[in-house]
Amino acid sequence: MPGLARCRVALCALALNGAGSAAIASEALTTNQPADSLSFVDLATMKEVVRIEIGGKPAGIALSPDRTKAYVTAPDSKELVEVDATARRVTRHLVLGGAPLGIAAHPTRPELYVADWFAHKIIVVDTTKLAVIAEIPVGQSPSGIAITPDGKLLFSADRDSNSVSIVDIATRTRLQSVAVGERPFGITIDDEGTRAYTANVKSDDVTVIDIAARKVIGRVATGRRPYAVALARGRGFVTDQYGGTVTVFDQVKLVPIKTIEACDHPEGIATDTLAANVYVACWGDDVLLRLDPGALTVTGKATVGDGPRAFGKFLR
Amino acid sequence: MLKRLAIAIAILGSLPIVALAHGPSRQKVSETVEINAPADKVWAVIGNFQDMSWHPAIAKTEGKGGNDVNATRTLTLKNGGTIEEQLDKYNATDHFYAYEITKVDVKVLPINDYSSRITVTANGDKSTVEWHGAFYRGYMLNDPPPELSDEVAVNAVTGIYKDGLVALKKKIEGGS
Repeated sequence: MPGLARCRVALCALALNGAGSAAIASEALTTNQPADSLSFVDLATMKEVVRIEIGGKPAGIALSPDRTKAYVTAPDSKELVEVDATARRVTRHLVLGGAPLGIAAHPTRPELYVADWFAHKIIVVDTTKLAVIAEIPVGQSPSGIAITPDGKLLFSADRDSNSVSIVDIATRTRLQSVAVGERPFGITIDDEGTRAYTANVKSDDVTVIDIAARKVIGRVATGRRPYAVALARGRGFVTDQYGGTVTVFDQVKLVPIKTIEACDHPEGIATDTLAANVYVACWGDDVLLRLDPGALTVTGKATVGDGPRAFGKFLR
Repeated sequence: MLKRLAIAIAILGSLPIVALAHGPSRQKVSETVEINAPADKVWAVIGNFQDMSWHPAIAKTEGKGGNDVNATRTLTLKNGGTIEEQLDKYNATDHFYAYEITKVDVKVLPINDYSSRITVTANGDKSTVEWHGAFYRGYMLNDPPPELSDEVAVNAVTGIYKDGLVALKKKIEGGS
């Protein structure tokens, strides 16, 4: 959860004046699973600029708070792969074992959290030493991970428990779990840290959790097999894998407002810092799509490597 | 041993979407054929979700819901196996539909979590039919037996697509 993603309007403006290119997402990094690679897409031109070898069927991705490093999970080789995002090269590997998939970076601490789908735990990795420093048991088959902007809580979508674990990061303890829809996969927390949204693959809906109350406050129907959720301009955007669509819903009323025809198997989805664009990785079509979150239309497309998943925060 | 078995049952029973976590990752197959007939004519043959008689492996199509989203069909193969499917998307204007397999024995088709799309694209007086699928192999854990490998799954689906498209071309061009 990069700091800029939660900046106040005034601070964003300052950042823009000071260092424009750092404030606006300028690149998307897509994990191309069957291709074993990572694509770097220039978002100004919507062109892939380079593709680097990762190996291990890469799926999950997170960025360091300063966005200079990318961390990729490779479930096939059971590794965490560190990428220097500026130099665009792999720098370090850490074998985690199990089945690393979902991944998130802490907004201030030098820590990463990796969901082990098979061992039902969250692995805490120190990014300085690139070493495992703790493990936190959660529910069955944790998939997506999200962290509150204040860095205090971690939410994991425990797919086969049909619930979300809420973990206290400082004490490394699971505080409680909250029942959601069937087979939650992706999970997203808003910039204010007030709500978490899970995409429930089997029940074809999104569950909305009030973070302070730690309670479900609503559900929104989606297309077939929702994968992940992005938020922009008071709206939620959900990739429907089998539907080939992006379901857009109103974050206040919690009702769908539009279904955007997207692509074959849309998966990873993310909003840029100023909510100017939403980007979608299309596993089936090997493209990155750009959506206008105001007009709710597709406005751009970039070819990437075979089978992009981009599961996590993939914009820098 | 019991624990391992319990884990295996839990995993198989839940038909994991994230099967990549256990070794397999989702596979892709795409086959196309060019047919010497307008798209409307091709669509008239394959555009009915409730009739897959154009495919030589299919003996019978039984279903409900017509061509509406969530319509279902059960395909009975000439070898006796059955495949249950559900329609996820249907667009008669743009000539495509997308569907998924909701139930099949790996002995009938060695795959899991299969979804597919068939598209007819007009190309002047001709048409191009594209059939593509996304699926996992039949064995969702590490180290699959040879008969349930990625390669076997890809070959099986590729064979079905090729046989179907060849037969479709023959049926339409032969009848025109």
